[in-house]
Amino acid sequence: MSNKFKILTLAIISLFFAKLVSAEVAPGFNSWDDVKAAASGDKVNVYMWGGSDAINGFVDDFYGAPLKADYNVTLNRVGIAGTVDAVNQVLSEKEAGITGDNGSIDLIWINGENFWTLKQADLLYGPFAAGLPNSKFVAWDNPAVNLDFGRAVDGMESPWSSAQFHFMYDSARNDYEDMPRNYGFLTKWISDNPGRFTYIRPGKGGFVGTRFVKQIFFELSGGQEQWVGPYNEELYNKWAPKVWALLNSWEADLHRSGETYPTNNAEMHALFANGEVDMSFTQSPRGAGPTNSAGTTPPTARAFAFYNNMIGDFNYWAIPYNAPNKAAALLYANVVLEPTLQAAQVQPANGFCCGWGISTAKVTSADGVAAIQDAQNNLGDAAEDQGILARALVSDIAAEYQDKIEADWQANVLLK
Amino acid sequence: MENTLKKTNIYAVYLGALILILPLIAFFINAFSFRWFYPQLIPKELSLQAWVRLKLIPKEGFRSLDGFLDLWLSNPTIIKALVNSVTIGVIVTIVSIIIALPAARVLGLLNFRFKKLIIFIMVSPTILPPIAFVLGLNINFISWGFSGSFWGVCLVHLVPIMPYVVLTMTGIFANYNPDFEHQARTLGANKFRTFYLITLPAIAPGMVVAALFAFLVSWSQYLLTFLIGAGKIMTLPLLVFSTASSGNPALTAAISIVFIFPAIVILYFTSKFVSGDSSATSGFGKI
Amino acid sequence: MGGDRLKIVLSLTPPLLIIGTLFFGGILYGFLQSLGYQPAIQKYDINFDAYYNVMFSERYAKLFWSGLALNLWVSFVSTFLAAAFALFGALTIRKTFFAKKFCNFIFSLNLPMPHLVVAVGMIFVFSQSGLLARFFTQIGFIASPSEFPILVKDKYGFGIILAYIWKEAAFFFIILMSVLQSLGENFEELAQSLGANKWQRFRYVILPLVMPNLFSASIIVFAFSFGAYEVPAILGVNYPQMLPVMAFEFFLNPDLNARSEGMALSMIIAMIVMILVVIYFWLTQAKIRKD
Repeated sequence: MSNKFKILTLAIISLFFAKLVSAEVAPGFNSWDDVKAAASGDKVNVYMWGGSDAINGFVDDFYGAPLKADYNVTLNRVGIAGTVDAVNQVLSEKEAGITGDNGSIDLIWINGENFWTLKQADLLYGPFAAGLPNSKFVAWDNPAVNLDFGRAVDGMESPWSSAQFHFMYDSARNDYEDMPRNYGFLTKWISDNPGRFTYIRPGKGGFVGTRFVKQIFFELSGGQEQWVGPYNEELYNKWAPKVWALLNSWEADLHRSGETYPTNNAEMHALFANGEVDMSFTQSPRGAGPTNSAGTTPPTARAFAFYNNMIGDFNYWAIPYNAPNKAAALLYANVVLEPTLQAAQVQPANGFCCGWGISTAKVTSADGVAAIQDAQNNLGDAAEDQGILARALVSDIAAEYQDKIEADWQANVLLK
Repeated sequence: MENTLKKTNIYAVYLGALILILPLIAFFINAFSFRWFYPQLIPKELSLQAWVRLKLIPKEGFRSLDGFLDLWLSNPTIIKALVNSVTIGVIVTIVSIIIALPAARVLGLLNFRFKKLIIFIMVSPTILPPIAFVLGLNINFISWGFSGSFWGVCLVHLVPIMPYVVLTMTGIFANYNPDFEHQARTLGANKFRTFYLITLPAIAPGMVVAALFAFLVSWSQYLLTFLIGAGKIMTLPLLVFSTASSGNPALTAAISIVFIFPAIVILYFTSKFVSGDSSATSGFGKI
Repeated sequence: MGGDRLKIVLSLTPPLLIIGTLFFGGILYGFLQSLGYQPAIQKYDINFDAYYNVMFSERYAKLFWSGLALNLWVSFVSTFLAAAFALFGALTIRKTFFAKKFCNFIFSLNLPMPHLVVAVGMIFVFSQSGLLARFFTQIGFIASPSEFPILVKDKYGFGIILAYIWKEAAFFFIILMSVLQSLGENFEELAQSLGANKWQRFRYVILPLVMPNLFSASIIVFAFSFGAYEVPAILGVNYPQMLPVMAFEFFLNPDLNARSEGMALSMIIAMIVMILVVIYFWLTQAKIRKD
């Protein structure tokens, strides 16, 4: 080889390595060690829905301790009434001209429309998710992970846990075999049991209700696949009238004859627990487990799923553009992806609500695998069969459908 | 004056009292129950679980004096919220009375142009829904650097409190006769002695009523504390709201009891001033 | 006198300053946002689109007008009934009878109750699976929650009215008690000695004397019940929906454009209350001149 060629090759190789080495972990941080150093001694302000003391306790106990011990970061968990409140806070700070490191929020538990609101208004810090060491456990190639309500995540949020819509029933009142397994059978069940069913109204604060209605679209139109991808007005307009017709046909036999609907999970569980209706909704892999332990559903409550069209998705942590402790935030987002802690999430004894944020298949360490196996075997009998859930799993669809469904439901079903 | 009362009137009052107290009874039962679902009238499972989960009472086996102290000193959210609510309430009560006193005196005793307009302005925060001004205020506070600060929250609590305090104290002064002060001055007392010996005792009952209103209004502020505090200042109403959103009746009942208990105690002790011969609230009519 | 004027100005400045900058400053901003001005998302419009949408657009018109009707109905009825209930209680409790002190305490007890707690309490007691329903089930009157009448979460707002009466009666009660105490019994005794019966004493002596205070208190109670959010959110139905609940839902919408609509609705609510208060002032001025 000529000298010139050697030099050229060397130059290319060193450039290549230089690029690797200087690839940023996240904006402003060249390496993970930089992140750890910058975060040491800081506080991290974590804003998340505070309505479940079980989830609150989990975060305080399982993340607070390792953050302090391993990284000298103090956890400050802030419970909020709804994610949109954190969104509004970031928005207000932007309006007041707060930039740099002068905001008040470090991390928000977020997904869907709230995420999109912040992302499209450039109010998020990132991309950071791929730079986390534990992101190797995340199934980033899975559209259910890299798309949030049909919108690209682009590394601006990092997964925490997952949830899948399905149902609860009371084994003291009904049998597992009698529960309907699709909307067709549900329609029959409703007319056979007048006044014993209702659903959460699709609307703000009731996205579970919107999910319930979306699934009807999937079933009536023959499948979810055609709904994946960008918003399709034609498709929507083709099936919407049939969906409203179905929901209106239920009305006379619904609880309260459809005069009013529960607005959120809490109201729905209360109706179910007090014997006013016979089904409720859940999104936890443990089915009725979390609410049974909390005492908001009767101890005989169990879960069941339809055999198809049960929407599941992920929820994430995002960092606002003006977060005061960005390095600590990155550390936190990484800690929650730790396989042993992810397994702790799923363990019933720890009372957490939701499912895996990582892909368990990607975990290879002995500790991790053991913890995961233990959790999987322990889900409890208030859970539905995980195989049924997995086969029924479909991803959520483009965000435009959300608002459309909510508005049209109000116009076509509620207001008639 | 005939003191006989129709029996029906008395029973009607008893019935009214019973209805008024029913929700409280429901709260108490709920707070000490677990899984109190229909149709149980008496809970099948009585338990302290709600209080343990709120971190007010230690778990089984730790319920010694040490256990309690350990739990409370670990500064769980509820203790933070209690301390903040009390501190803010006391501070804004005192500050609002000091600010309102001169204004109330002037409004109650004197007549001048624009007096009605000024009273209207003073009262307006009670009339307009909080949501109309709170979001805008939040932006301003953020840019002035008050957002998320304890003093910012205190400052903003003054807004809903001032109308009640000013109104009540104006009522006092409207019924007040300044002649006694003049008498004292002519007898040689200076301004401070006059205030301390003559004015203060006369307006004290009214001041107590005003303080009661002020504290209660601050105690139950949700939207203001939530927005201006930016999540950093935790108070009881915030905790009540987020607990209520969980839909757990036992927890909600327990924290509601904590929330209303101090207020009831205060009401009990000051009820002497309020149901007695008080010119404070009669001043309402003079406005 | 010059000194007097200075004294007036200085005395009034601190509270006026607080209310002026904080309260009215906040409203000004809210008003701007209702006109579409949202610098954070680079929206610099000034128009009345949000107002039009809220009141007349296909999506919201039905909701708005039915909500307005419900609002007026609920506020008028609950204010009137709370006042009447409190008046009855005050007139009875000022006389001596067994457990008078206790009843006195109970009637004023609800003053410190925050509205959220009141609403939750109503659900605990009056819902179809609440305390009363359970009582009736235990004694065999009904067999399931659906047989219990719908007292809360009903479309006429009875649950909301009940909650407001439950709480605001205490406010009226305290005021009325002190008024009645300070009035003493002289007027009534005089009327009675002149031959007036109970109803006449009430109508021509007591009522006119307590009216001024009742009016002032009523306006505060009415205004508050008109613009408050927590009680109708918990005790109301989805449709018709009281206006503050509708406004709040706009703020829950992550779509930032909905902020303008939320603000517009908040401004509309505020303006309606303002108009009613002005009418009140005008009416009382007329009344005073008449007397």
